[in-house]
Amino acid sequence: MSDTSVFDELPGDLMIWVLIVSEVLVFGAGLAAFMAVRITDPEGFATAQDALYRTGAALNTVVLITSGALAAWALRLREDARRGLARLALVGAALLGAVFLIVKLAEYAGKAADGIAWDTHPFFTFYYGLTGFHAAHVLAGVVVLLLVAWKDEPRNIEAGAAFWHMVDLVWVLLFPVLYLLR
Amino acid sequence: MPRDPLLRAWVALMALSLGSTLISLWHWPPDLTALAGALILTLGWLKARVILARYLGLVAAPFWRRGFGLCLALFCLLLLGLYLLPLAV
Repeated sequence: MSDTSVFDELPGDLMIWVLIVSEVLVFGAGLAAFMAVRITDPEGFATAQDALYRTGAALNTVVLITSGALAAWALRLREDARRGLARLALVGAALLGAVFLIVKLAEYAGKAADGIAWDTHPFFTFYYGLTGFHAAHVLAGVVVLLLVAWKDEPRNIEAGAAFWHMVDLVWVLLFPVLYLLR
Repeated sequence: MPRDPLLRAWVALMALSLGSTLISLWHWPPDLTALAGALILTLGWLKARVILARYLGLVAAPFWRRGFGLCLALFCLLLLGLYLLPLAV
């Protein structure tokens, strides 16, 4: 009888996968609730969505996807014992995370200048709740990436990069639902 | 396409993101709005699959890759159903 488990197939630590699944479930529930509430007022949701800056969100998608690629490359470089380049890739990934946050803050400032707040319409309650919670994860991810660039054991980089990819994964689900579905 | 799987994944994610943004910005006739929504959600699901397979390394764990892909597909179908409900009534 084999003593290997199907869990052994998973790359990296099992606990990081528990975290990834938990986070995707939380954001998934938020998105499903958003779509359910939208049924009550589709026109109001469409009008509110028109106030969003889709091109800025698309730019942020490019930034986050590129940052994720850098984090994935960092792990491969570290496993090839190219520590300097791996650290550079991690710092680059963190910097792109900071760019994402700057664009997000500019987006929030634009909404505030237009007099749009979380209670302007239910759309914006979900918008600020979901994107704000995601931005908090981006901030945490930037710190994690810098931490694993410093403590650069391959196991640390693998866990840090996996957290960052989770942030990426959540964004590619948030972006189409909040910004693109008309 | 580039040979490096990570670079290929990055290019695919860029193309899928560009595709979904262009679909959203396009002025679709009202009777094709549902199709546009279905395409946007399908591209989102494909992006999630690429991230899981290449960035998170599930390409080496086919059981989990299929499992995550199936769960995400069901989730996107739920979102699509909720999206289509107001159009149906």
